[in-house]
Amino acid sequence: MSGAVAAAPGGLRHHWRILRSAVAYEYKKAAAFKAGFIVRELIHGIERPIIMIFVYKAIFVSSGAAAIGTYGEADLIAYMLLGATLWKLVFPERGLDLAEQIFEGFITKFLIMPLRFFLMMLGRFVQYSSLQLLIASTFWLLGLLIAPAIWPRPVSAVAVAQALTLVLLGSYCYFLLIVVLNTMAFWLDVVWTLLVMVRFIVGFCAGQLLPLALMPGFLKTTLPWFFPYWMLCAPVEILLGRLGGADFQRGLLTLIAWTLALQLLAAATWRRGLRRYTGVGQ
Amino acid sequence: MTTTSPLIHCRRLGKTYRTLRRREGVLRLLGGLVKREHVEHAALVDADLDILQGEMVGLIGANGAGKTTLVKILAGIIPKTHGTAEVFGRDCFDLRDAEKTRLSLVMGQRSQLWWDIPPLDSFRLLRAIYDVDHDVFERRVAEHAERLGVADRLEVQLRQLSLGQRMKMEIIGAFLHDPELVFLDEPTIGLDLVSQETIRRFLRDLNRERGVTILLTSHDMADIEQTCERLLILDGGKLLFDGDLPDLQRRLVGKRRVELHLEDELVGEPTDAAEVARKHDGELVEVSPRRLVFLVPTARSQALVRELFDLLAVKDLSVERQPLEDLVREVFRRGQLEDAP
Repeated sequence: MSGAVAAAPGGLRHHWRILRSAVAYEYKKAAAFKAGFIVRELIHGIERPIIMIFVYKAIFVSSGAAAIGTYGEADLIAYMLLGATLWKLVFPERGLDLAEQIFEGFITKFLIMPLRFFLMMLGRFVQYSSLQLLIASTFWLLGLLIAPAIWPRPVSAVAVAQALTLVLLGSYCYFLLIVVLNTMAFWLDVVWTLLVMVRFIVGFCAGQLLPLALMPGFLKTTLPWFFPYWMLCAPVEILLGRLGGADFQRGLLTLIAWTLALQLLAAATWRRGLRRYTGVGQ
Repeated sequence: MTTTSPLIHCRRLGKTYRTLRRREGVLRLLGGLVKREHVEHAALVDADLDILQGEMVGLIGANGAGKTTLVKILAGIIPKTHGTAEVFGRDCFDLRDAEKTRLSLVMGQRSQLWWDIPPLDSFRLLRAIYDVDHDVFERRVAEHAERLGVADRLEVQLRQLSLGQRMKMEIIGAFLHDPELVFLDEPTIGLDLVSQETIRRFLRDLNRERGVTILLTSHDMADIEQTCERLLILDGGKLLFDGDLPDLQRRLVGKRRVELHLEDELVGEPTDAAEVARKHDGELVEVSPRRLVFLVPTARSQALVRELFDLLAVKDLSVERQPLEDLVREVFRRGQLEDAP
């Protein structure tokens, strides 16, 4: 102790340094175990779209139909393959262990630090998204090399930029929703169940099982008001040339609104939850 | 190295936990889903406390006495229910980054470092959080690791370290940013004697050299006895005692343990010696052929020893203070000292 009162660290540069360190820490954590890295980072998330390809194959074969709605068999396979690629970028619902940390009292260490705890979680989001950009790009390139005849290609570079913007912003919204659900651990002991339920609902609303165009009428008009649609279905359709610039702009505005709302909600549940936190034990 | 600046200030501090009442029987259990019943438990009751800069204070109490609750309130982890709790002149639950930079916490039963990576990587993250200069960081890590004897374990994954090594790493992490105030909750729990002693010496040195204020919670009386000048005894959420060890002895009419080693073997029962002990309100508690042990009130111990020297051929003598553990047990038994704070 130097005697003089130490100045509190602060400012954007300080927060930027913490975020950088948090990202580096998350990378070390992700790479700590080989099997964990393969399951959690490499192959996680691609199983459902791949299964859906076989489901649609079976439907087309058994019904003899050439198309379902505006989607032919090749279109649906392209949709699912691009969906699988982009879904890799979507933050996983089990990507945070915040609920466990709250249950077991491990967030205590952060509460005494001169730190916005959200920076640590943001570190995980940045680490996951940056790594998955690399993995998804590799996955797409490998597909193109192995099966060039059926592997879908984006209609333009602009479409790629628009799709990536929407996916990453949508993934951030989903990440915030996951933060909110994890903070429910301050009140509830069923967070894991909630996360599983939400994963299924968000996956469906995002068009992971079928494109919006094939859904019932009321869903076609309702779902574009929610972020999941703009997180997956719309970006895939932009890549396929089914949606254009005007749709991108609408999606961007919708996602920005959801981001603000979820950010406020996450901050509120965290603050209120902390007042109930006991840190395990008395 | 005690100065007069108060770092911790509490008045009528209280904390009540509200928990769900679990009822027995299936019907009652199902009924509980509709109508919830809660029970309140006072974990801390009207505690008054001031801790000055540079003090080393030991907090003693049985399980559930309220020790950890007090530490958590003071560290700003949980809010108080009523009263005043201030650290650095500010409400504990409303500490800003400026105050948080000046304190630290070690919880013996809850790791503060990151399980999956080596301690050195955790320290680097802490360095960014506390904005510690690179050279200062390197020097402190090396210095603390050397003192605690874990310099060669800094790059081993935390989960692969022994309990003692992990705790030493926790302590290094807690002192990296040179805090003014450190809370340690059971830092030596489950450790071997050598590790315990190393940690105690480290804490004493840091307190003496850098004036760090330390509030140490422990079940191990040796931790408190060997490191702290001041004791707080909590029981049932109430602060039963606040003072130093001699003060505790005085208030409890502490006893001395007098042990005599004799030149010659005893023949028959030492009835004369027992009689002398009774005369001084003491008692003869152990007898062997060449050794006698007496317990006597501190104020009468000199007179007893003089008379025993006249009575017996004494080869060697030792007079010891009553162990802290006995004193604390006595405080719990009495429940409240007459002039306790």
